[in-house]
Amino acid sequence: MAAPYSQFSPSPTPVNVCVEAVLESQIQEVRVVEKPDAPDGHEIQEVYVPPLSMSENLTKLAQKIDFYKDESDEKGKPTSEGEKEEEEKTGAAFQPSLWPWDSVRTKLRTSLTEMSVLLDILNVSSSKEKRYMVLDPVQQNAPDPKLAVQLMSKRRALQSAASVLQSGAERLRKSHAEINNKNDFHLELLNVRQKWRLKKTGTSILGDLSYRSVGSRYMHNGVFEVVKSSDLTAEGEFLAQRGSLDVVVPTELEGGAYIQVEVKSVPGNCITDTMDLTGAILRVPSGIGPVRSETYWQQKLEKAQNVLFCKEIFAQLAREAVQSKASIPHLVVGNQIITNVFPGIQLSIVLCHSTGKEREKKLPQYKMDHNHVLEHSLHQLLRENHFKNINFPAPHPVTALVGLTKKRRLAGPNALSRKQLMDMSDSESMLDQIIKQTKHNVLRLRTMQTIDGIAATLSDPQLTVHWSCCNSSTEASCRVIITSQGYDLRVWHSFVIIIGVDSLKVIIKEGRVFFLSFEEKELQDFIMWQVSQHQISVSQNLARLMGWQIMSTSTAMGVSDLESSGTASSLILAAPNKERILAIKSGPSSGIKVFLQQSQKDNKNRVILPDDKWQSVGADYQQVDLSKFEGRNFASKLELLLATFSHDLSSSSS
Amino acid sequence: APLTTEFFLQGSVMENSLETLVNRLKGLCDNADYQQESFQDHEMVFHIKNTSVPTPLVFRVRHSLVQTECWSLRYLGHAEVGDKNRPTLVRSYIDCPTSENVAQFIGELGFRMDHEFVVKGFYFHKGRMKITVSKFYKMNQPGNTTNDTIETVCPSYLVELSVVTSSGQEAVGDDMKNFAEQLKPLVTLEKTDHRKIQLAQT
Repeated sequence: MAAPYSQFSPSPTPVNVCVEAVLESQIQEVRVVEKPDAPDGHEIQEVYVPPLSMSENLTKLAQKIDFYKDESDEKGKPTSEGEKEEEEKTGAAFQPSLWPWDSVRTKLRTSLTEMSVLLDILNVSSSKEKRYMVLDPVQQNAPDPKLAVQLMSKRRALQSAASVLQSGAERLRKSHAEINNKNDFHLELLNVRQKWRLKKTGTSILGDLSYRSVGSRYMHNGVFEVVKSSDLTAEGEFLAQRGSLDVVVPTELEGGAYIQVEVKSVPGNCITDTMDLTGAILRVPSGIGPVRSETYWQQKLEKAQNVLFCKEIFAQLAREAVQSKASIPHLVVGNQIITNVFPGIQLSIVLCHSTGKEREKKLPQYKMDHNHVLEHSLHQLLRENHFKNINFPAPHPVTALVGLTKKRRLAGPNALSRKQLMDMSDSESMLDQIIKQTKHNVLRLRTMQTIDGIAATLSDPQLTVHWSCCNSSTEASCRVIITSQGYDLRVWHSFVIIIGVDSLKVIIKEGRVFFLSFEEKELQDFIMWQVSQHQISVSQNLARLMGWQIMSTSTAMGVSDLESSGTASSLILAAPNKERILAIKSGPSSGIKVFLQQSQKDNKNRVILPDDKWQSVGADYQQVDLSKFEGRNFASKLELLLATFSHDLSSSSS
Repeated sequence: APLTTEFFLQGSVMENSLETLVNRLKGLCDNADYQQESFQDHEMVFHIKNTSVPTPLVFRVRHSLVQTECWSLRYLGHAEVGDKNRPTLVRSYIDCPTSENVAQFIGELGFRMDHEFVVKGFYFHKGRMKITVSKFYKMNQPGNTTNDTIETVCPSYLVELSVVTSSGQEAVGDDMKNFAEQLKPLVTLEKTDHRKIQLAQT
């Protein structure tokens, strides 16, 4: 609108100022429209954005409001009323001009103020003197005890607890019953695993029942398989015993087996070739019987392991028997090894294996004479072999070769000769060891029998045998004591017999050592000889006691008849008054004989020589008949005899 | 064939795992029911310098402090790592038992002692494999091996699995690897490259 401001302007010419209102609406688009009456042929039209309605305007302004601003800053809460619009507009217009962290700063300041106040209050109230402020607990009124409600709530709680416990117990009982009834396969498998080494290969579970892990080098691998027991049962017996797990052992280890060792004397006069070949047939042991196929797995596995062990023993013995270069050949027939230990004594080792599947045959029952000691020894020997295979002594220093003994390691530095090395490396085969043990066994038994036989028959000096309890499988010892009854504390004779593998070593009182062979007769002769020596000792002792003088004694008489074994010993005694001479001869086979020298005084008739001194010359000896004497044994009879003559002479002289 | 090659694997454990390792070895190795074997050795390492060869020749004289008459003289070659296929380290190993004056003897030959140490530990074996768990002690006084003059080098134990056999028996490496697998993760027995240790030293 042009309006002349002529009265205000100093300039003479008026200026037209055009005042226009600001465009309220924005231009949306500019169109070029065809209009025929315009100078260019088209007109420019402006299309305006339609102005916002009241509600649209309000929406636009409300969006600008920051509702998160502190309400105390604003004059009032934002409402949807139109009257507050202006205030909002002004409030919204002011916000963007403030520093954005200001609100944060004010908030922190207020919180700091509050915290300081709180701290001051606490300090004041909790100070030790309690002068300014004291905090007292507030007495709260006890709630009214509504017994009925409490009871109900407690009852409900207990009921829920009881139901939980009961359900748990029920579950446990059910699972326990299930376990006990069913014999779960996996539980049984756990039990098997505790005792045997199992391995899962593919779909099957295999186990090892051989002795490989403890040093055996036997070819058999001893593999067994664990399977679930089949549903079909043969003959329908004893299903309850079986459980749900079964083991399958290799067919060659089925059944039961044992090694039987028998030592028997074989009649015959030849030294060699006296083997009882009639016994070398396949024996079916009557003791084992059929093994039930429903045997529980542990017994089954143990039996199979035993079979394997016995087979290994027998295989090793058979191999050694065939390879040995002993003078007496060993015979291996089927499942038997036969060898001669002494002439006339035969050792047979039999592997008895019954698989339980054979029909009961009516065989003539052999009297199986087990020598359990030797059987046990065989088991022990094989175990020793196993042990030696894997147990090496530790090397010191630790970098030395594994597997050598200390002696072998020091062989080099100590410069052992070849012979010494060979001696060190020599080791005995199992067969040799068992033969040695057998020999010793036989010899010991024989010795026992011999001594006992003599002790039973001999009554005059008595034999007592004390066997030593410290002995080994190849050596034993005993002490034999010869005493005369009634005089056992005065004098006794003893000797020690050490029984070796095939000879005896005897040590007698004086310290002399004799070696006897395994023949019984030698020992018998020896004992009789010692008995005769004992008689002489007793006589000597008695003579000394009674005052008789020993004129001479000889342990090996060179005169008189030859004894069948050993030598006779003699003793010549003189009476205390020297009037009488007694001669005693004792021999192993001739027994004991006492001779008394006659004196001239007996024959008073024949006085040829008048001189008295000729009375003292001795005459012939006459044997004394000891059977007419009273006395239990020779010693007492001799004592009587000595006493008689001592007394007799003294009485006659007086 | 002469036994001149050693196949071995090495690993180590801390002291607090020693008990567990020993129990596990007792179960895995032979002689489980036997008393545990322990050893105490004293080793002296001798050098002789050769002008033509840069590295000196090393001989080791070792004797047991438990059985004092057992002395041995050892030569160890360099450990070959070999290719990836070989599961163990291999070195040439020549060992011979000697009399007690061997140290003096090689001294006369021109060897000089470089260092000495004491080794104590436990010994296990499985077949021909030897497993030792050992702790090394350095000697404060040369020649004195009593307990008060030796002190430990470090608190961990060296675990070694070794087989001494003739060269060319590669199958033993697989057995050793299988055995080492059973000891994981308690101790990892592996082929440690000795050159790296030597490089780290220099």
